[in-house]
Amino acid sequence: MQHFEIEVGGRTRRVGVARTGDKFAVTVDTRTVHVDVARIDAHTLSLLVDTKCPPGTTDAVRTAAEVVIAPDAATGQLMVGVGATPVAVAVNGRRPRRRDESSGGNGPQRLSAPMPGKIVRVLVKSGDAVRARQPLVVVEAMKMENELRAGRDGLVAEIHAREGESVDAGALLVVVK
Amino acid sequence: MKKILIANRGEIAVRIIRACREMNLSPVAVYSECDRAALHVRLADEAYAIGPSAPRESYLRIDRLIDAARRSGADAVHPGYGFLAENEDFAAACAAAGLTFIGPDARAIETMGSKTAARSAAKRAGVPVVPGTEDPLGADVSDAAIAATAQSIGYPLLVKAVAGGGGKGMRTVVDPSDLASAVRGARSEAASAFGDPTVYLERKLARPRHIEVQLLVDHHGTVVPFVERECSIQRRHQKVVEETPSIAVTPALRAAITSAAAAVANAVAYTNAGTIEFLVDENGRFYFLEMNTRLQVEHPITEMVTGLDLVQWQIRIARGERLDVDPARALTPTGHAIECRVYAEDPDNNFLPSPGRIVALRPPAGPGIRDDSGATAGLDVPIDYDPMISKLVAWAEDRTRAIARMRRALGEYLVGGIKTTVPFFIWLLSQPDFADGRFDTTYLDAVLKARNGRPFVEPDAGVEEMAAIAAALHTALAAARPSTNGGSTGGRWKTEARLEGLR
Repeated sequence: MQHFEIEVGGRTRRVGVARTGDKFAVTVDTRTVHVDVARIDAHTLSLLVDTKCPPGTTDAVRTAAEVVIAPDAATGQLMVGVGATPVAVAVNGRRPRRRDESSGGNGPQRLSAPMPGKIVRVLVKSGDAVRARQPLVVVEAMKMENELRAGRDGLVAEIHAREGESVDAGALLVVVK
Repeated sequence: MKKILIANRGEIAVRIIRACREMNLSPVAVYSECDRAALHVRLADEAYAIGPSAPRESYLRIDRLIDAARRSGADAVHPGYGFLAENEDFAAACAAAGLTFIGPDARAIETMGSKTAARSAAKRAGVPVVPGTEDPLGADVSDAAIAATAQSIGYPLLVKAVAGGGGKGMRTVVDPSDLASAVRGARSEAASAFGDPTVYLERKLARPRHIEVQLLVDHHGTVVPFVERECSIQRRHQKVVEETPSIAVTPALRAAITSAAAAVANAVAYTNAGTIEFLVDENGRFYFLEMNTRLQVEHPITEMVTGLDLVQWQIRIARGERLDVDPARALTPTGHAIECRVYAEDPDNNFLPSPGRIVALRPPAGPGIRDDSGATAGLDVPIDYDPMISKLVAWAEDRTRAIARMRRALGEYLVGGIKTTVPFFIWLLSQPDFADGRFDTTYLDAVLKARNGRPFVEPDAGVEEMAAIAAALHTALAAARPSTNGGSTGGRWKTEARLEGLR
């Protein structure tokens, strides 16, 4: 039996995986389900999950799901597509770097590049007071100019973005305190 | 005509290759550094490298494209859309090199490519235009002069690139104090996208629909307008969903707007395929907006409801054939078609681009579904180009069934490794306003603003649990596999043996 700590939608679940013949017994917190797995390719699984039996029957309902699983470079999480629904999943406390735009409220906001691109304009300078959702940096990627905005009110503490420079995904651009 | 060089990439290059094959013509591809493995290269008969990934050093290099055409012995060039498709110098260079340019001649491209010149042409044809500046505002025109012009047009207004298209180099200005920065932004984007920073100003109509008319025109004086396309679902001035016919167009309006479109084409002696875009106000009055002198991204929906192949007709017209399409057929849609432009963007993070490697891909199929795509598993979505990876088209007997079919197809669309706008479309197509056709060009930006970043598809408890189970199994299986790239090759017993360890 292998154990994982799996965080989905802000809640951590303890998930155990054990082989039972040609299937798997998967225990999520306290409930165990039997899962038939067909690997389609390195990132795609077909799952048949035996869920609870309808009243008056002994045979479980077998729910089918096709899932695509791939690492998300920007957050360090896994992106799990359950059918066409994307779900962000963190395995074993591999906590994502927090989405900058959502980190309103208290701590400093570290604005980083969400995708590779070129810094077109830096709209603030060190020490500037900024308001939440104020554009800080304009990054050009895929032929569009994308404004990256402040996630909170504060003061610009650090600027790492330089106009004309190419940056990779995840590069730190501005810190707002 | 035997061999066609396709001066483009991505899904449209693939689309043109398909037309070539069906006409027994040999397709020749060109590619930049990052596109070596792209689908259009793999499907072509010949392929030539034309330089580094940046468009200006490859797909916009007229000299290298003409060179590739010469080297391959191609006798014609199809420009697709975007890149050099509306560049009169490219059309002229092709003609000078003895190559048939599959599109209008350089003079028509030049006239209609300048938004201000196109507006005068429409006026000459007796077609109303949206009020705005008569003359282009070059980079040397001062902020003060622009502000004075803006005052005479009235706010809200649009700053638009004279050489523009696709929403690039365009800004909306509501407050006069934002005008200068909007002009700066539009000029900078226009200079980078089109190599021309010139802009002009246009009144912003209150709640217009964007309705456009596809045209085919041969070299023998025949002009055929097609049933309208409804393109009002736009985000940041970029179309994201198109459909035909429009729920808002009456038979009388269709007759009037398609005649107006044909009149504009006649006024500039246009040939080949083109599209006239109109804005239609709440009272059904229409105004000429601009002409696109090329094949349109959304051409497949017109093909679906008329059964005609627009790319094949472009080629046939270019080689001098007569356009013998029954005009009634072009104007009478059979059923209804909808297109969703699937982008490599994260809809839940302000639609920021999501480039990267597509690790898994299974596009939808089945009745009435067409997926025009340049994407395959194993390909990187490069950062250098437009992030559109596919155009998903659904056709059905009527609009309600077409929406149901599109929703079914979106649910089948599996993409791993990058984020796409599929969840956004699933949400949009379930909106009552969309179902009832209650929208105009301001609709999408307004509802997106009101949602304030709420995720488009929120997983329920069952889906979350399924994701947790899948992630655990994936991690367990990956740990048990001999290597991450080994697939099932090289000793299945080893995998099995390691899986035993999971007992």
